[in-house]
Amino acid sequence: MTDTNSMRWRLTGYVLFCVIILVFPYILNNDYLLNKYARYLIFGVLSAALSFSWGYTGILNLGQAVSFGLGSYAMAMALKLRTIPIQTGAGGLPDFMVWNNVKALPWFWEPFHSYTFAVFAGLGIPMLLAFVLGWFMFRGRITGVFVAIITLAMLVVINLVIVDQQKYTGGFNGITDLSTFKAFGVGFDAYSLSTYYLVAGTLCVVLLGGLAITRTKLGLILQAIRDDENRVRYFGYDVASYQNFAFTLSAGVAGFAGMLYTLVMEFASPTFLSVQLSLSIVIWCAVGGRGSLLGAALGAILVTGVQGNLSESPTFLDTWMLIMGAIFIIVVLFLPNGLISLAEKGVRLLKHKSARETATHPVAGAAIATFDSKRVRES
Amino acid sequence: MSDILNQVFTGLSLASILLLVSLGLAIIYGTMGVINLAHGEFVMLGAYTVWFLQKNFGLDLLPCLVVSFFAVAAAGWLIERLIVRHLYKRPLDTILATWGVSVILQQGIRLTAGAELRYVKMPGWLSNAVPVLGVEVSAYRIFIFVLTLLLLAATYLLFARTRYGFSLRAVTQNQEVSRCFGINAARVYSLTFAYGAGLAGVAGALIAPLKSVSPDMGTGAVIDAFMVVVMGGVASLMGTVASAAIIGQVSGLLAFVYNDTVAKALVFFGVVILIRFMPEGIFSVRVRRG
Repeated sequence: MTDTNSMRWRLTGYVLFCVIILVFPYILNNDYLLNKYARYLIFGVLSAALSFSWGYTGILNLGQAVSFGLGSYAMAMALKLRTIPIQTGAGGLPDFMVWNNVKALPWFWEPFHSYTFAVFAGLGIPMLLAFVLGWFMFRGRITGVFVAIITLAMLVVINLVIVDQQKYTGGFNGITDLSTFKAFGVGFDAYSLSTYYLVAGTLCVVLLGGLAITRTKLGLILQAIRDDENRVRYFGYDVASYQNFAFTLSAGVAGFAGMLYTLVMEFASPTFLSVQLSLSIVIWCAVGGRGSLLGAALGAILVTGVQGNLSESPTFLDTWMLIMGAIFIIVVLFLPNGLISLAEKGVRLLKHKSARETATHPVAGAAIATFDSKRVRES
Repeated sequence: MSDILNQVFTGLSLASILLLVSLGLAIIYGTMGVINLAHGEFVMLGAYTVWFLQKNFGLDLLPCLVVSFFAVAAAGWLIERLIVRHLYKRPLDTILATWGVSVILQQGIRLTAGAELRYVKMPGWLSNAVPVLGVEVSAYRIFIFVLTLLLLAATYLLFARTRYGFSLRAVTQNQEVSRCFGINAARVYSLTFAYGAGLAGVAGALIAPLKSVSPDMGTGAVIDAFMVVVMGGVASLMGTVASAAIIGQVSGLLAFVYNDTVAKALVFFGVVILIRFMPEGIFSVRVRRG
């Protein structure tokens, strides 16, 4: 009873948020700001994806930016091949390849002439990478802190490789001077309404779809794995497959967010898979609330919004990272479930007053919550 | 023949630096279950300590090493007291908090000491090459190798022969029971964290003359150390030593054949494949997973 009740509250919150971001362009008709907010919403998608693997399944992926970056490179490669011939070498060879004395288009660039391939690659490559890494880790029953440091190591390694292979990836500069993405007769210019809606629509689908998954049996098992992996294993579930599912799905969503980011930023760069971005994703997720997809998304929008406004004054540009670090530590120490937990507490208090009911744990499903309500969450 | 020997010496030199960096990380993880993501920044702090002392007081490297150890150990002790201490029951969150610490340290150094690359002088008496088995080897690299062995021996004696080491092993095995026997577990944790940090500081001080000193030098160092800890497991010092030796030699060889980046990538994929079959590292005793 209380469970469906709290569900109604959450669903209201999610739908309200979706409506707000969808009607937003009507309130604010400014191309520059629209582009800026589209960026924040993409970070929201990214943060919600991390919340799914970290907050719901207990897999702390410190290398989330790998998926994001690979997605953005896939999109950038396709758009690069369609730039107007002035900026390209003979036979449409990308400019940075000309500068690096590459004579012919490398084989792995060829299929990116097709948009369909690029979109599938932007989703598929991060997912495949996550799946393979996940297979090795979860089958070896690696969990907790080791997953965190292995994913972080992968991030650093892949970043180094991309910077190192300048001939094929544009190195430090990344891939710039892109054409505009067109699909189904609609152009997705970075400052256009269509791009904003593509981004906002993606965030809505990710949030509502993610919420739906967490309500299914699959979602409950994922949360049970987060709370006590071994107990779920003793029930006969194949824990590694479930973990890998969450890990891979999260990587796919992050890859898609990366593709959108290329559309909005009009370039792809190694900073899209930097340690700093990965750290930021984790901070957004922690500040907003790792145990809630909406909380994580809001955390991203809030933190990047504040950052965007502060970085316009030069004093804050330098101290911003210091402030971020401090906020992060404070949230981890004192508010482990993020700002959204304050809101949920408020809602529960309200309900408690009106109905005089004892509230159950809002995150885990009823069956598991009663089964294991007293245990403190450990990784 | 001399080529092979040369390669082996390069590998040994890489391995000893790797061991110095990862020893502290492994000790902290082995005792408290905390992966200290600020470890790379402790290395960086050690390097900056040397730079600071050389620039302002013109000190030689040797006294700087001692100061680095104690300065960074003090920083580690403070961080354990203020932050890490409150998170022992939430191991994943210690990663986050120490990551926050690393950001603050990095940016703090960038704002105070500047973002540009800094250089540290090698002591004169160590800057020439010495013939070993017919191969010219840099005296400084031999110095690092010997110092690593000494520090390793000191660490072993500290753990095996002292009152503190005894308490440390007791607390690692069972914190609650050892507290019943009057061991101050909180103090042991602080000291261990400080000791691990101090080792990282020495490592940073030793690396400083070889590479340029910069605020983000720690990231690269700590990633290699992760590989060592993941591969070696945390059951014993031996695991860390062996895995540092293997990774050092292998990446030295791969870097010679390809380049540093490719070497790093290949070592990473090797370690990932390894953990599928030996999840607890190469040197661990098989225990029942609880």
